[in-house]
Amino acid sequence: MFSSPLLDIEIKLNADIGEFAGWQMPMKYISYQDEHMAVRTSCAFFDLSHMGRLRIKGKNDELDKLVAKDINKEKEGKMIGPTAFLNDRGGFEDDVMLYKVKEDEFLVVTNAINREKIISWIKKNSSLDVQDLTFDLAMIAIQGRNVWNFVEKVDLQPLEFRLNTKFMSEDVFLLSRSGWTGEDGVELWGPPETLSRLITKLVNLGVKPAGLITRDSLRQEMGFVLYGEDIDSTTTPIEARYWVFSLEKEFIGRDKILEQLKNGVDKIRIGFKGKKNERILPRRDNSFKVLGTQVGYVTSSTYSPYLSRVIGMGYIKSSHLYLGFNLNIDVRGKLIDVKISDFPLVK
Amino acid sequence: MSNEIVVEGKYKVLKDRYYTETDEWITIENNVAKVGITDYAQKKLRDIVGVDLPQPGREVKAGEQVATVESVKAAADIYSPLSGKITEANEELVTSPELINKEPYGAGWIFKLEISDPKEIEKLLNYEQYINTIKKREGL
Repeated sequence: MFSSPLLDIEIKLNADIGEFAGWQMPMKYISYQDEHMAVRTSCAFFDLSHMGRLRIKGKNDELDKLVAKDINKEKEGKMIGPTAFLNDRGGFEDDVMLYKVKEDEFLVVTNAINREKIISWIKKNSSLDVQDLTFDLAMIAIQGRNVWNFVEKVDLQPLEFRLNTKFMSEDVFLLSRSGWTGEDGVELWGPPETLSRLITKLVNLGVKPAGLITRDSLRQEMGFVLYGEDIDSTTTPIEARYWVFSLEKEFIGRDKILEQLKNGVDKIRIGFKGKKNERILPRRDNSFKVLGTQVGYVTSSTYSPYLSRVIGMGYIKSSHLYLGFNLNIDVRGKLIDVKISDFPLVK
Repeated sequence: MSNEIVVEGKYKVLKDRYYTETDEWITIENNVAKVGITDYAQKKLRDIVGVDLPQPGREVKAGEQVATVESVKAAADIYSPLSGKITEANEELVTSPELINKEPYGAGWIFKLEISDPKEIEKLLNYEQYINTIKKREGL
């Protein structure tokens, strides 16, 4: 089991520590609903030190074959954004954040559960050099509708980043205009001591600490997928409606994607919203039912503090993609009504 | 002497009530038991977002599942610690289930029950036995 290098300061802030993907991380502080609303109305920060942070060096073209997006198009110093490593069946090996530092040097953020797998997978499929920075650097995100009222405005456009820069007088390794919450903000990589000092500054400014439960409810409202829940090595970007590829180039899994685009898919990812006052939470693998017949299954669900409703996502037979229709989810034998909805679930 | 004991600096246990192996607490007054879940249980469940309450009037046996507490982490079944008739459910939990997180031993109570077999009370755990139950589970 690994632990975030920021745990000491987080425990002082009353973090409720739990396990996620083999890491001891803050799951919440006092209440995930308060933390969630802080992001949607004000500002909060998250510890993301569990995520894999890799530096990849080597021939641009070699990496281009592994990644579903076109990495040659982007300029140096640009965030290529979310993309994916796919297997030859078109399934996700991982969905990642990719930064182009310069020609032949990239930074990648992997899901925590996939870090080791991806390092081996890159080495197996290329001669690229992979350096694991995960244990040298911590990572936090500062996110919120009013984020710039709390932290200095960064000299970055969305989809940009800087290396070896300063943020709030601290030397950070990476500063990026990104997040996973649907709000504006930044993500930072830096030595644990630096980020601990930054956390103290943020707390003194009134920025709330938030945990991974909140991160999960925020990303579900936006319809963002979580690896291991909503996508895995058997789901394709077409089924997940996760547009992280460029068909103009070659990459592993492209043939399957072309075949699915031509012939169609059997299942497709959709969101759902419960009725007001319904407080029964669907769980992973619960069935979507139309007139008693199973037409799909739930992959994620939570209670949305912003909508005051149960929300979630799952896969439905593409023949039954009745957007706007109220169907049932079978939760331990009890049928609850949900409306099939497109993403984002909050507007 | 304080009524409160904190196990491992984390989990509050109150001396003035009974407990079960399944993390319910019970206070008894005039043959009516008031039941909720312990601080240990609510901390393990994390944020509670819903409660499926029992219907008043329902006859239940000791150990019978009577309610469900929904958290972001899991759905937890709540068992009646004693046999009897449900007399009241805490309707405040319908709109404010987070009361169980905030005040597990107070405003977060779940239901009341008229006891039909007072002898069953002897089988409940006292606070010391419950503390040992927690410690065992935490590997202490």
